[in-house]
Amino acid sequence: MSLPPTDSDWKIRQVIYACLVATGCAPDTRDIAARFDLRPAQAQAALQRLHDAHALVLADDGAVLMAHPLSAVQTDYRARIDGRWLYANCAWDSLGIPAMLGDDAQIEALHPLTRQPIRFAIRGGQLVGAEDGLVHFAQPFRHWYDDIVET
Amino acid sequence: MLFRSDEEIESWLQRKCLERGAVLSLQRVWELAKRWYVDRISPAFRGRTADEAQAIFRQLDLTGEFWRDTPA
Repeated sequence: MSLPPTDSDWKIRQVIYACLVATGCAPDTRDIAARFDLRPAQAQAALQRLHDAHALVLADDGAVLMAHPLSAVQTDYRARIDGRWLYANCAWDSLGIPAMLGDDAQIEALHPLTRQPIRFAIRGGQLVGAEDGLVHFAQPFRHWYDDIVET
Repeated sequence: MLFRSDEEIESWLQRKCLERGAVLSLQRVWELAKRWYVDRISPAFRGRTADEAQAIFRQLDLTGEFWRDTPA
């Protein structure tokens, strides 16, 4: 059984979110180790504890892949806030970015069939555009973390 | 995934040989996103329990089998 994240681990998570919001990129293990005066193995162990607690998602190589609603890699879903595009993990998460940041956003989602962008926005807390949009959730809630990438 | 009609969803499910999950309007997903993510970047955030998740679902009347933590 994995250990729960420590208070220091949660501080690392805060830095990861701050970097993703500011730049769209997640810091790597060496960046985190340097910033928190840790050995790389200690930083990686902290990331693993956060992953095990579903507080972020690591890729197979140990790098940060997701910090919901943000994605550390380009996806079919993105939100433009304060002039920069931030990538989301899914349609729900594309709305999660302005929800998390409490800000307006332009959002683009590539249509799964046509690959054409569907554009909508959050303005003043209201959804604008794509009023006919329907979101399909593939996995029941109890299976969301069985394979979070497919969910 | 985001679609423009239920017909598109059925077409995609057939193409991918997938079963239908749950379908919500984009407006309802925005309401869900606001409740789910409002505290995500707070330094006080320590994750969400299954009970807390269920409470959010209930606020939006998402009470069917799909949204349960365990099978009924």
